[in-house]
Amino acid sequence: MRHFPMPTLKFLGTFVTCAAVALCNVYITKSLAQSARQGQPPADTAVDSSNASPIYGVTIPAGYRDWKLIAVNQLLLAGKGEQLRAQLGNDVAIKAFKEGTVPFPDGSIIAAIHWTRVSSEDNDKVLNGPFPGTQSFVIGSPVNVQFMVKDSKKYAATGGWGFADFKGGKPGDKALHETCFGCHQPAKGHDFVFARYAPAP
Amino acid sequence: MLHCRARIRRYCGALSSCVAVAICTLHIAKSAAQSNEEGRVQTAAIASSSDVSPLFGIGIPVGYREWGLVSVAREKGNLNDIRAVLGNDPAIKAYREGATSFPDGAIIARIAWTYVPSKDNDRVLGKPQSFVAGLAADLPDWYLEFMVKDSKRYAATGGWGYAQFDKNGATADMALMKTCAPCHQAGNKIANAHDFVFTRYTP
Repeated sequence: MRHFPMPTLKFLGTFVTCAAVALCNVYITKSLAQSARQGQPPADTAVDSSNASPIYGVTIPAGYRDWKLIAVNQLLLAGKGEQLRAQLGNDVAIKAFKEGTVPFPDGSIIAAIHWTRVSSEDNDKVLNGPFPGTQSFVIGSPVNVQFMVKDSKKYAATGGWGFADFKGGKPGDKALHETCFGCHQPAKGHDFVFARYAPAP
Repeated sequence: MLHCRARIRRYCGALSSCVAVAICTLHIAKSAAQSNEEGRVQTAAIASSSDVSPLFGIGIPVGYREWGLVSVAREKGNLNDIRAVLGNDPAIKAYREGATSFPDGAIIARIAWTYVPSKDNDRVLGKPQSFVAGLAADLPDWYLEFMVKDSKRYAATGGWGYAQFDKNGATADMALMKTCAPCHQAGNKIANAHDFVFTRYTP
């Protein structure tokens, strides 16, 4: 009688362990899959080469608008109006930004969204009560979206970065993309990336 | 001897089960906590170091800096800041669907940074044209603001609770918190048509 329960217990013990380990694996695999997906450069998932940037072959990464915020800024373009801008990063890029990792690791992607800036009279009416003299500017309409994709081997000739500029979902021409890397030279000390993580104490 | 080995095996089996279950529980608990975080502001999800806003009892929601981007704005004049509006998942979902009111659990975050010229960026442009978020030490007193939707708890203020914090996590005082709802409900046509929220989602 005393000998019987032991194999049963052993079996149960093993079974529970296996089930628990299996469950764990599902969780771990799922979270790894999620982070791997975000880290993948879009060039590898290109479906339509006509939507890829010249020279670099970078396409618009799926889901980039859901990426986390790096920073916001404003550009006053002489004669061309004003822009409000935001930079978003995939998980690999955000981690590097937060930890101050330079150069950025392969798989990092930075998205820069540019919009026109317009005055908001409605906001001004409300704000001028508590904050006299405030002029509120909000986003008008999308101008373009740019991406920097880090792949130190594939893009070795351009500091490890592939560039892309899209307007209305269509990439700009070769001449435009030839200017990207040259323009990013002043940011060489920060791996050619202008954007800094906006403070979050 | 035979009994001993069996007992050890049984013990080992039980122990590894426990460890495995514990690890699993950690994983499950972690993901459950993540999904709950955004909906539960008043309890576990507030940062322990943060104050709670007078009148509304709202602390700084954990992980707000990683929420999705709603839009960007610039306030010129006395405020002189550049700001981003972020939303938790229920808020972003409502925005994307073009909903005219937000579901309970929606939280909107407004982050304001000082507005400073960027020397790095201007080296490319040749003149002061680029303006970025300032340093952490220079963050304005109105650094963080939150709107939390809870139609029952905040029924008296249009279903929204409000909060404002400076860079040290210190809340704005009662007098200031009393001004939030009246301003959002002041008859501004944008906010009135949009559940008392000024900011619209920008694709």
